[in-house]
Amino acid sequence: MERPLSPFMFPTWYRFQITSVLSILHRLTGIALVVGSILLAWWLIAVAAGGEVFEATHAFIASPIGVVLLFGWSLAFFYHLCSGIRHLVWDAGYGFEIRDAYRSGYAVLAATVVLTVLAWLYVLLA
Amino acid sequence: MANTRSLSNATALRDENVLRRVRHLGSARDGLQEWRLQRRTALALIPLGLYFVASMLRLATSDQATAAEWLASPVPALLTILFVLALLAHAVVGMRSVLVDYVHTRARLVAAELLVRGAAILLACASVLAVLKLFLGR
Repeated sequence: MERPLSPFMFPTWYRFQITSVLSILHRLTGIALVVGSILLAWWLIAVAAGGEVFEATHAFIASPIGVVLLFGWSLAFFYHLCSGIRHLVWDAGYGFEIRDAYRSGYAVLAATVVLTVLAWLYVLLA
Repeated sequence: MANTRSLSNATALRDENVLRRVRHLGSARDGLQEWRLQRRTALALIPLGLYFVASMLRLATSDQATAAEWLASPVPALLTILFVLALLAHAVVGMRSVLVDYVHTRARLVAAELLVRGAAILLACASVLAVLKLFLGR
């Protein structure tokens, strides 16, 4: 068999494990949240400035792109929060057994979905 | 530094033990300070982040007067400023650890880090000014 090189390994030869996928996701959501912090600062400035600046910001947030971004950031926030707590538990010296790492990984995914759904139910119903 | 107060080295959270362990092996620079800052801001961001995001769920689509009134009250103003500062400090360390992994040229790494730090300082000062304006101007 001809041996494939790195990027081509992924779909066929390399089997993903939840542990590595969650680790990568922790980074990606972290980067997404850094980008989100720009909108956060922008929103604070817009509230302070008022007038047209706020109207434009508000229109952007309420637009389809804005809502999709907000949804993505809320998902990224809740994932990074839950996954970050998992990392802090590891830093404290617990949960290193493979079995525990898998369990906490699935718990993080479940908690992310639950928190995101609850948050948006609150937004839509309130 | 003969700090022998701690008898347990079971957890990596005990700084003196980390120092002892890495003395001959680990970073000779500022890795431990960053590691600590990342964990401390992470801890702070659990309650601050939940508070801010919960508030945003109500405010994201509100009108300017409602949002301004909220940011002008003492507790939201204080917690928002703390949240933004902890968030950006956490972001700078996190972005640095990503950059260190993927930017392999020293000059580019320095440039990218300066950019990230500069942007974080700009965002932090602008956010604090915005909140202060609303808080002091009410």
